[in-house]
Amino acid sequence: MRILLMGHPNVGKSAVFNRLTGARVTESNYPGTTVDYTKGRVRIEGDSFEIIDVPGAFSLEPKDKAEEVAVKMLEENKEAVAICVIDASKMERGLYLALQVIEKGYPVVIALNMWDVAQDKNIEIDVEELEDILTVPVVPVTAISGEGIRELALRIKEASLVKIEKIIEKAGN
Amino acid sequence: MKNKFASVYFSIFGLIVLSLGIAELIIGIAGRSFTWGILEISGEFSLWKGIILFFVGFFYLSSVKNLNEIHQLAKNVMASIMLWIIAGMQIFAMITESIPGGEEEGWINTWEGFLSAYSPPYIPALILLPFSLVTVYYVYAREK
Amino acid sequence: MLDLEQRWELIDKIAKRTIKFGKYRHTLKDAIAEITVKPLTGIPIAIAVLYGFWAFFVAFAGFFTDGFLVKLFDMHWLPWLQEVFPAGKESWLYYIFVGDPLADNCFEAFGMLTSGLFVVIGVVLPAIVAFYLVLIVLEDSGYLPRLAVLIDTVLHKIGLHGYAIVPSILSLGCNVPACTACRILETKKQRFIMRTILAIFIPCGAQLGIMLKVIPETVGWVILYLLAGYFILGFILSRIVPGESPELLLDIPSYQRPTFSNVGRKLWVRTSSFFTTAIPFVLLGVIIINVLHLTGVIDWLATGLGPLLSGWFGVPKETVGALIVAFLRKDLAVAQLSAIEMTKYQMVTSVVLVSIYFPCIATFVMLLKEGGVKGFLGSLAALVATVFLYGGLLHLIWILLGVA
Repeated sequence: MRILLMGHPNVGKSAVFNRLTGARVTESNYPGTTVDYTKGRVRIEGDSFEIIDVPGAFSLEPKDKAEEVAVKMLEENKEAVAICVIDASKMERGLYLALQVIEKGYPVVIALNMWDVAQDKNIEIDVEELEDILTVPVVPVTAISGEGIRELALRIKEASLVKIEKIIEKAGN
Repeated sequence: MKNKFASVYFSIFGLIVLSLGIAELIIGIAGRSFTWGILEISGEFSLWKGIILFFVGFFYLSSVKNLNEIHQLAKNVMASIMLWIIAGMQIFAMITESIPGGEEEGWINTWEGFLSAYSPPYIPALILLPFSLVTVYYVYAREK
Repeated sequence: MLDLEQRWELIDKIAKRTIKFGKYRHTLKDAIAEITVKPLTGIPIAIAVLYGFWAFFVAFAGFFTDGFLVKLFDMHWLPWLQEVFPAGKESWLYYIFVGDPLADNCFEAFGMLTSGLFVVIGVVLPAIVAFYLVLIVLEDSGYLPRLAVLIDTVLHKIGLHGYAIVPSILSLGCNVPACTACRILETKKQRFIMRTILAIFIPCGAQLGIMLKVIPETVGWVILYLLAGYFILGFILSRIVPGESPELLLDIPSYQRPTFSNVGRKLWVRTSSFFTTAIPFVLLGVIIINVLHLTGVIDWLATGLGPLLSGWFGVPKETVGALIVAFLRKDLAVAQLSAIEMTKYQMVTSVVLVSIYFPCIATFVMLLKEGGVKGFLGSLAALVATVFLYGGLLHLIWILLGVA
């Protein structure tokens, strides 16, 4: 099984990647550091998976080279599981991409990264409710310090396919 | 009370910084040097250091009104940070110059040579440095 | 599949049920973040930051180079090598590896083991480490994107936008990774402009380090002249190259405290990758140039190109050797210039020429790889025109000032 790390530019995908794989991809505090993809391996409870750090994309309608690469990666890996990394302090924007990936028929796990920043800004996110609506695992993480990464790794296999209609229905109530 | 003191303090300090900045700027453009007591204005980058000091003074002065307000305080803190950049780099340069020996001497400087690198006169930013630390105290006192 | 509107509607619903915005306290960090992007306060702050950058670079590189390494190379390494080198002082082997037997410093000797090693280890290594150290701290703290916002309006004039500052600043370290970083720009046109102007006008860290050593008083003017060229060529290219230059909404990350481990790791990765490419090229460059000297090719070229060099650019014909080296390594080329006798003004012109004349071979390969054949030829055309016009312009300025 392959795992794709998806998300907007500068939401800390590379940091999550480093934490998961123990790899040494350089992280920078500005968007667009990763213009090519990086591969690594992650071991979860004895099983080894290949994980790909996909370049940052705002949506799946490509506007620059990094986004083109991102879309290509998705198409080439139809069987993959996607970890959507979302900046918890700007959750709506990240959900847009996550929903697109869900609609395309990929099992998804959501990593709410920069949880510490969101807390600093006094933004409260009801993780359980969000999990219930989306019916995918949602894990708050702070990749820089490594908090939540273990839980994220353990919950990757809970990712399953969801129909978007179901999400609409649940959100409506 | 504390606020008022800080405002008066930074008004005076800001004015001093501003005028030293202008002096350094002018001397930098003229390409001259000037020494007075422990104060020395000379060397490369006087022009740039002068411009930065000028803005530091300007930021201090524009921050004194209602200093307790967060945006005003931010200007004050930033002014001090800019001052610390110049002074910090000057100290760093002093350290790097003090350690190696002279051209025809050994690897490490003599004790006298080492000490003389730190002796006055100093550039304006270095003399102003201790007085700018009041910002730290103010921010700290305000948090409490 | 949902359309755009339906998707946002859904997100709205989800957000309403799951996100609660607490009372937002404006912290000092936020207020500082704000004033660093407002032009009125941001530009003075940027000047202070860039001054700090430069001052650190100069002091750090000076500490190692002038403090220790010059002594090591000139007083110990060079005399020792001149003493023990097995081949005779007249032999070509001696000439290639040690260079001039009468030289008393590693700049003038120009052998592979003398000048070659001195340039790489003595001058360029400290400069590169100093440069990357500050750059990485600026990157990780989150200041760089703020600089991008500040300079956004200016860069729009040359068909780019604020984020073009990222490849531009990276380029001050090494042009090669900067070419790759151009991919963060949206359109082909923008990427072409960016690659071309940075390959031509931005001196790399190695070159900056050596310029600082060779022409300490005039390096500021050289950089200023190059910077002006960067904007002029960008402005022209943005008018004549077809294609779009879309706006970009800049997203600014919050300030963070850089971590030791990440800074250290990045410094190591960048410095070591720089060195694995730099060392072979510098050493090879010295060999090639010495062989060309020995076989008389340089003299032949100098005589042939002499009228062009002295007539159009106003520099001595001996600079031809440096221009050949410049194709391999810019730092080595500037080092070679320092050994040629000329006036201060001719020196500035030759250093500018070395900078804007063909980018080093590694950058060349990147231009081809990133731009394709068409883009590469375009960059090349811009380059040739620039060398003649912009290089010649400097000569004209000296003539008008009466110093040529």
